Amino acid sequence: MIAPTKFRLASAMPVLVLVGLCVVISLIEPRFLSLDNLIRIAAASTAPLMLALGVTFVIIMGSIDLSVEGAMAFSSAVLAAGVANAANTGLNLGLAALPLVVLGTALFGALVGFIHVFLKVPSFMASLGMSFIGLGMATVLLGGERVVITDPYVRALTLTRVLDLPIAIYVAAIMFLAAWVIENHTIFGRHVYALGGAEHLVVASGVNANRVRVLAFALSGFFIGVGSILASARLGASSVSIGSGQLFTAISAIVVGGTALSGGSGGVASTLVGVLIVMVLNNGMVIVGLPTFVQQGVLGVMIIIAVLLNQRNRVLPVVK
Amino acid sequence: MFIRNFLNQSMIDRRRFLIGSSLGVGALAASGGQWPAAAASGYSLASSIRSLSNAFHAAWNKGSEAFATSVGEHYQALVTEGNSEKGLTDIKALLAKVGDKTILAVDPNDSPDARPIVEAVAAAKGRVVTVWNKPDDLHPWDFGDNYVAHLSFSGVPAGEQTAKALFDTFGGEGGIVALGGIPSNVSAIQRKAGLQKALAANSKIKLLDFQDADWDSTKATNIVAAWLTRFGGDIKGVWAANDSMAVGALEALRAEGLAGKVLVSGTDGTKDAVQAIKNKEMAATVDWDPLWIGGITLSLGYHAATGKFKPSDESRAHREFYGTGALITQADVEDYWKKHVEATPTIDWNDLWGRLSGQITYN
Repeated sequence: MIAPTKFRLASAMPVLVLVGLCVVISLIEPRFLSLDNLIRIAAASTAPLMLALGVTFVIIMGSIDLSVEGAMAFSSAVLAAGVANAANTGLNLGLAALPLVVLGTALFGALVGFIHVFLKVPSFMASLGMSFIGLGMATVLLGGERVVITDPYVRALTLTRVLDLPIAIYVAAIMFLAAWVIENHTIFGRHVYALGGAEHLVVASGVNANRVRVLAFALSGFFIGVGSILASARLGASSVSIGSGQLFTAISAIVVGGTALSGGSGGVASTLVGVLIVMVLNNGMVIVGLPTFVQQGVLGVMIIIAVLLNQRNRVLPVVK
Repeated sequence: MFIRNFLNQSMIDRRRFLIGSSLGVGALAASGGQWPAAAASGYSLASSIRSLSNAFHAAWNKGSEAFATSVGEHYQALVTEGNSEKGLTDIKALLAKVGDKTILAVDPNDSPDARPIVEAVAAAKGRVVTVWNKPDDLHPWDFGDNYVAHLSFSGVPAGEQTAKALFDTFGGEGGIVALGGIPSNVSAIQRKAGLQKALAANSKIKLLDFQDADWDSTKATNIVAAWLTRFGGDIKGVWAANDSMAVGALEALRAEGLAGKVLVSGTDGTKDAVQAIKNKEMAATVDWDPLWIGGITLSLGYHAATGKFKPSDESRAHREFYGTGALITQADVEDYWKKHVEATPTIDWNDLWGRLSGQITYN
């Protein structure tokens, strides 16, 4: 019975990598494990975790969502319009603006799903196209400026601490739980897995696959909306480039966590581990004092190793 | 008439935020802002720039529009979206349409792009002024009167001046950390060289660490957070190669209650950075005045075309030159705010050489 053991080892691998990283970094620089630093890592992880959670559902389904940067820009611009900002042009809705922003981004995601499903555009092109549309809309709304958000409620997400932790961390924790429940305890969650595993069987058993697909993209948009609010709160501003580089962070975190890009496996818990690996690495490499060009190389190597580990014992006939 | 004046004013105001009242104006600006010229003599003015989605090029575009409006000529923005091919194709299409009536200001997407652009404009007998990027061996004086001038800004004084202003905020003794841009960018290299010059002249300042944050706010926030773990209270100041990173660094400090205690310096003169200087949270930035760049480059081309001056008769210092960046510190920020943020500065587009700071030198 060797195969099952290997299988278990492979799925525990990301956790072992995370623990291993923490041990190595703290041996070199003990301050890495200080409470302050762990809170810093957690705070830095909140927005990337939200983005990665949303995209995880789409990837499990076997599609991909490349709209992260545009959806974030769009959502950030809507946020600036809805709350008090330094340009005095916001609607000043305060907290009421937040559900509007998240809903708006969910609609944005649903639109990606519609284009993908009903116009039969491959998901990577539909989402990439919508990403550019999102960037364009944000550009018009923000006029190319970085607009400072002055709304005290939004800023409180990062600046106010409850029991030593910024509120953003609690928000991220609640959102993670919600994603976990959706994944494991709803019919929709099961359908997402089934679609990624064998779509024709799902359709044959009478599931409305189109509906599930659109919903998954809308859910992705929902989480990107939350991520965008957290990122804007952290930067204290809305900007077209709020999402720059975040697509790469999200996808690499998902892959490093052990969710296969081919769909049907992995999950939000793996994504949490993946995000933590990437953020611990980013934080740890600065603390240890590695030069920037080495840091980028280390991250690239980590991603390739993660993909290798994820292949488990499976023999792939073709790789493309 | 009232509407037209309002639109003109909105277009010229570089600080206008488009959400709300001026949304319609934004759409007009994005489409190139074309309206009938009052006394057109048939010239077609254009600025080829990366995009309208960053504050720098958006302000550039407004400067170009302001100049075109002042002489009553047709103007359009050609947007490359970071694509060199698209940049060149759009310029060739314009040349095919208006030929020797073309007056072009261009921020080449990449240095090598400047050569085919200049050659195409020269072949059509139009006028071109390049900004920031060009190969070192491409010179305006090799193209007679068609390649009017090249304008650039040296990042060395900017990096040095902002560093010195930063050092002054903590009495010139202690440790700083520094955030660089994309390491291969000329401006990142120059600004870092400026920082190093300032460090060499201040032996009591120690550079604790230098990391490249690739001009990115989020990266800057995360790096500064990690530095706080590594160096803690040893950090007396944070130097950043541009304002996006400076603002990101400032937010990392704010999350730890250190904003205003540990100061940050940047470069580019973005509005939020100027506001942070006003709030005594940032030490300094340098304003390149893209509004001026957008107008003066077209003004140079226009005045060369209309015969106000003959480029080939001018000295080389009038063909390849550095503009002047304005250092903004806490001492003069209130004055700057009144003149440049609350009001839109009136710029004399006929003063072609007033803001030069020397001929460009090559290593």
